Amino acid sequence: MTAMPIALYIEQIVNGLVAGSMYALVGGGIALIYGTMRVLNMAHGEFYMMGGYAAFYLVGRSVPPVLAIPLVAGLLFLVGAAVQRLTVHYLLRQDGWLFACIAATLGLSIAFQNLALIVFGEDYKTVPYYVEGILRLGDIRLPLQRVLMLLVAVGTLLAMGFLLKKTRFGWALRATSQDSDAASVCGIPVSRVHMITFGLSAALGGVAGAMLAPIYSVSPWMGLPVLFKGFVVVVLGGLGSFPGAIVGGLLLGIVEALGVQITSAEWRDVFGFALMIVVVWARPWGLFGKAP
Amino acid sequence: MLEIRGLDVAYGDYQVLWDVSIDVAAGEIVAILGPNGSGKSTVLKAIIGLCRARSGTIRFEGNDLARLAVHDRAGIGIAMVMERRRLFPAMTVRENVLLGAYPAAVRHDAEARLGWVEGLFPILRERGAQPAGRLSGGEQQMVAIARGLMAKPRLLLMDEPYLGLAPKVVLQINDIIRRINAEGIAVVFNEQNVNLSFALAHRGYLLESGRLMLGGTGQEMLHSDVVRRVYLGE
Repeated sequence: MTAMPIALYIEQIVNGLVAGSMYALVGGGIALIYGTMRVLNMAHGEFYMMGGYAAFYLVGRSVPPVLAIPLVAGLLFLVGAAVQRLTVHYLLRQDGWLFACIAATLGLSIAFQNLALIVFGEDYKTVPYYVEGILRLGDIRLPLQRVLMLLVAVGTLLAMGFLLKKTRFGWALRATSQDSDAASVCGIPVSRVHMITFGLSAALGGVAGAMLAPIYSVSPWMGLPVLFKGFVVVVLGGLGSFPGAIVGGLLLGIVEALGVQITSAEWRDVFGFALMIVVVWARPWGLFGKAP
Repeated sequence: MLEIRGLDVAYGDYQVLWDVSIDVAAGEIVAILGPNGSGKSTVLKAIIGLCRARSGTIRFEGNDLARLAVHDRAGIGIAMVMERRRLFPAMTVRENVLLGAYPAAVRHDAEARLGWVEGLFPILRERGAQPAGRLSGGEQQMVAIARGLMAKPRLLLMDEPYLGLAPKVVLQINDIIRRINAEGIAVVFNEQNVNLSFALAHRGYLLESGRLMLGGTGQEMLHSDVVRRVYLGE
């Protein structure tokens, strides 16, 4: 490693923050479902994939991105809620639901990938940048698309945090995640909370897919690597912790970016998984999880 | 106000209640007594809907409860203080209490009721911003009762209200239950200890192995041979 201008490192940290904010969106969605239902949603990557396709078709039909992104979120909310109501909802009532939910969502993941293959074809779709131009701060150069990604992620996560902390529904969601029987005794319709939570989670994944679509291309298989990243984030932050997933996502993004800077791009995942191993070794319950 | 007729409850193949019939009038305090494993808790869980009746009916003010989901029962005037409190540990005391007023039917005057409940339990004001999981057992029991009262119940179910509490706290809880009852709220609770129960209850029912053995007033039950036999195995 040779001496590099400090600006290069700052640029990499900022790039890491941008990537990390996307990891936070994906991981936050996985954490939300796991935290409320104890379900590991193996089809979460496909919500991300659908977000990518939705963005491709909306932006391709010249819907302005300011409108397209909220539309993608709304659409994926409906998809997520429907998926929960038609599958997980029934499985949660049965013995052996823990494995049944993993198997069912894994099946959904494969089904959605193949459905996308049939409907959209196997070619990789490219989406134009939502904003052109480069932001210059001294020696640091940052494409405006990445600035937009960060802003959208921060805005979405803040809105989610507000929902969880300040609204009636957020209280109901947190109560349900801590003790679903006690929540229903208090009059909270637990099944409906589960369905809406799934929808919110899918919306977070869909927004990430839409924001990353111009950077990576859109394909039926784009979800799987993101699912693995999401799991790393959730394990880092502490299973089921929403704030943990945000911190875990940002940390993962920065560590990967700096790791790539001092080695090369193919080492990216090595740094990510090494970070996870170190954290799990020191704190098996994750950064924000509770010690048993 | 509460009318249970011929209640059978089973967990899978294992039947825990057999043909249980219980009545509670408005404004009464009723104890459900019996040794460990006699099915006391199951009676309360069946009323709130956490376990399903295999046969028999449960009516509350004339409504058949079988058609209502658990979360609908809070809105029609039934609240429950669950065994071991079951607070939401990571939420604040204040959030826990306000969640008691979640049903749409009782939401509008929640603020006024919060004032009354805070009068009963000064601890709610003192420790309102703390996570409920940090409180002691007795304090948690107060928060759990407060949460139940926020639903504006006419019937308050209490599953093992004395479990794990110091004797001094038991007296405090009794005092609170009397004050709640003085507002016209009927209370049904379960407890093993017969003497302790009749310090509070107007009437009681005795369960043994899931069957109703006896019902009556405190005087009747404290001197009953059946009670003696069930507890002492004579």
